[in-house]
Amino acid sequence: MKISDQIIMCLQNLFRRKVRTALTVFGVIIGTCAIVVMVSLGVGMQASQDAMLAEMGDLTMITINNYSGRKENGDKLILDDAALHQIQQMKHVDVVTPFYEPNTWRAFTLYGGNGKRYKSELYTVVGVYPEALEKMGFKLNKGAFLSENQGDTIEILGGYYFPYDFQDTRKKRNNTVYYWNTKEDGSMPDPFIDIMKENKLVLQINNAKENGKTIDMKVKGVGILEYDSQNYQTGYGIFVSVKQLKALEEKYNKLNNIKASEDEKSNYTTAKVKVTDMKYVEEVQAAIDEMGYDTYSMENIRKPMQEQARKQQMTLGGLGAISLFVAALSITNTMVMSIYERTREIGVMKVLGCMVGNIRSVFLMEAGVIGFMGGVIGIIFSYIISYIINLVGNGLTGGFSGGMSMGGGVYMDMGMGMGGGMAQTSIIPWWLALGALVFATLIGLISGYSPANRAVKISALEAIKNE
Amino acid sequence: MPCKTGLNAPLGRRENLETIIKVENLRKVYKIGTEKVIALGCVNLEIHKGEICCILGTSGSGKSTLLNMLAGLEKPTKGHIYIGKHDIPKLNEKQLAKLRQKQIGVVFQSYNLLPALTAQENVGLPLMFRGVSKAKRNKAAKEMLVHVGLGKRMKHKPTQMSGGQQQRVGIARAFVCKPQIVFADEPTGNLDTKTTKEVMDIMVGICRQYQMTLVLVTHDPSIAQYADRIVTLIDGAIVSDVENQSIAEPVYQEGAKAPAEGEQPAGEAQREAVDSAEQESKPEENQNPDTEHNGGVEE
Ligand SMILES: Nc1ncnc2c1ncn2[C@@H]1O[C@H](COP(=O)(O)OP(=O)(O)OP(=O)(O)O)[C@@H](O)[C@H]1O
Ligand SMILES: [Mg+2]
Repeated sequence: MKISDQIIMCLQNLFRRKVRTALTVFGVIIGTCAIVVMVSLGVGMQASQDAMLAEMGDLTMITINNYSGRKENGDKLILDDAALHQIQQMKHVDVVTPFYEPNTWRAFTLYGGNGKRYKSELYTVVGVYPEALEKMGFKLNKGAFLSENQGDTIEILGGYYFPYDFQDTRKKRNNTVYYWNTKEDGSMPDPFIDIMKENKLVLQINNAKENGKTIDMKVKGVGILEYDSQNYQTGYGIFVSVKQLKALEEKYNKLNNIKASEDEKSNYTTAKVKVTDMKYVEEVQAAIDEMGYDTYSMENIRKPMQEQARKQQMTLGGLGAISLFVAALSITNTMVMSIYERTREIGVMKVLGCMVGNIRSVFLMEAGVIGFMGGVIGIIFSYIISYIINLVGNGLTGGFSGGMSMGGGVYMDMGMGMGGGMAQTSIIPWWLALGALVFATLIGLISGYSPANRAVKISALEAIKNE
Repeated sequence: MPCKTGLNAPLGRRENLETIIKVENLRKVYKIGTEKVIALGCVNLEIHKGEICCILGTSGSGKSTLLNMLAGLEKPTKGHIYIGKHDIPKLNEKQLAKLRQKQIGVVFQSYNLLPALTAQENVGLPLMFRGVSKAKRNKAAKEMLVHVGLGKRMKHKPTQMSGGQQQRVGIARAFVCKPQIVFADEPTGNLDTKTTKEVMDIMVGICRQYQMTLVLVTHDPSIAQYADRIVTLIDGAIVSDVENQSIAEPVYQEGAKAPAEGEQPAGEAQREAVDSAEQESKPEENQNPDTEHNGGVEE
């Protein structure tokens, strides 16, 4: 018997009993919907968790700290170029850079304008690999990133608000431009100097002794970064090449007769590692931990949250599975009924030379098709239900937040509503849809298995018996 | 150790013929609780190629039991049934299905057409089970339906046809694969006299045309007249096995019970029935019909 004939026969049989087939399929639809919608809620929950975490910090970023220079067991541990190179070589590591942030206050001062009129105290200076920032995901507001090979001029890349860090040393009052004092058209006020155009920028290496000798280094501003709440340094800080920063430190130490050990000279204390994908963070982090460093990533928060979300998902999915189980019973019931009705027909088929295997596969197919159809329609319904849940759910969150903020009024409410539009309560990823379809079809096949075997065992004699 | 049977001496004509079905010491006992029903005591039988063999007997004599076992629908308690090289009771389901596809056609008393399918599709079923393409089997089914005089009913569903028409579809279905052997258990059991005649004529006609072997079960001696050979069963044993023309005397002398009254008319009726059915193939058997009289004999 040809496969095509088996399929046609199976479809004809299903079509002959439209109502019963439809009812059974309906059961599967409900079961599929239950599972898909339940799991989609879990997925949505996890997605909003991830979104929340992402707001707190880059999920693919691992921070390495090595302030002590010692392992837990007391062995010497240095975070230097060699160590970073080793980490860079690890699988799934995208980019590595020191995030070296020594205490520069009072050590260095940045001046601009004629006669060092404008001054910045340089509270935050971060030394990085110049080429790494862009790969790390830092965004430029204007200008360019640090160039890779620099001469004697110190290149600086300012944080978004850094230009407002300058003070006018000639004034007692109004010596600061505040960025929030916007102009009439709403744009930010002009700072005292534009670091990208200013050609009189100098970094002064200070001497702790009063009136001691200081050194001026020529400085060039290459660009301004966008502000990124995950890295406060992109606010009032500046980024420089770590090599230049180390060299500046050395000059400062010399000037002030400070003796630093070789280890101190090469240790970066902090570094950042960007991993190619969130799912590898755990693995990479473990490998770095293995080297003896202290590490931190959002994974530390994400994992327990994720575990909890997974548990919730399982519970929800389990609830859905119960209804699919009921659907499975009804498939079995339908198949048993239809085989009972078709006993004589099956007998006739056998007498006419139909192979036992063909009979089995026709019945299995019928059950499978019921599962498949239920799965397909169920998934379509699930998408619709999911859409409605998101509509209603967002309305609720919007209203809820609005209520909470009380005096927040219209503005708040609108803000929340718009924000809510992004986050979905129910998400159906492709794997959920596909998985549900396969699962529903499998359920059909499994439920049809024993009835199909029953059909096979029907004796050909049944055909002969007169009722 | 062959058991004793009531079989007559073999007929001379048979020796030249090729045996297609051979039954040896066949026994079938049904157990119902502790009680045993011996449906077939001990049957030995040879059916030849191209023969139309009628198994005749009263109700409960074991005809259907015998036929079912010949067709492999039921396993015997003891004994062998050979069709070609195959010992039927020893075949498994798959082998049986293969054998049915290749060699066996069955006509049912209650037609047993699949209600959802048209006449043409029903006739095409055995071909479908053999894996024949739709175009081919439609063509074969059409030819067969034209053959049984239903050329205009191809797209009709069974419920839209009379019993006689349905049985003709059943016959077309049994013959569509051109099997070597066709089994028919009371094929006209549900039909009136006139339709019975039509149906029998068609069935026997096709068998003759393709030299098929037909094993026909009936309780009606007038139908037995279509056969070359009549095997009479009483209480699960063969009491007579005769060529048709000589049926009158030996059957009713030996097999005492069944046709208790009206021996003579029965014989005559048989001769006459053959007449109409087999004019071409057996012209020597022309006799005068008296069907109605005969029909009443058995009951
Ligand atoms: N499945 C069964 N279980 C028990 N006994 C059975 C079964 N089938 C048949 N018999 C018995 O076997 C005997 C022969 O039955 P069978 O059906 O062969 O008779 P038959 O000659 O075909 O009769 P009829 O002309 O009424 O169809 C009967 O006595 C019947 O009761
Ligand atoms: Mg019977």
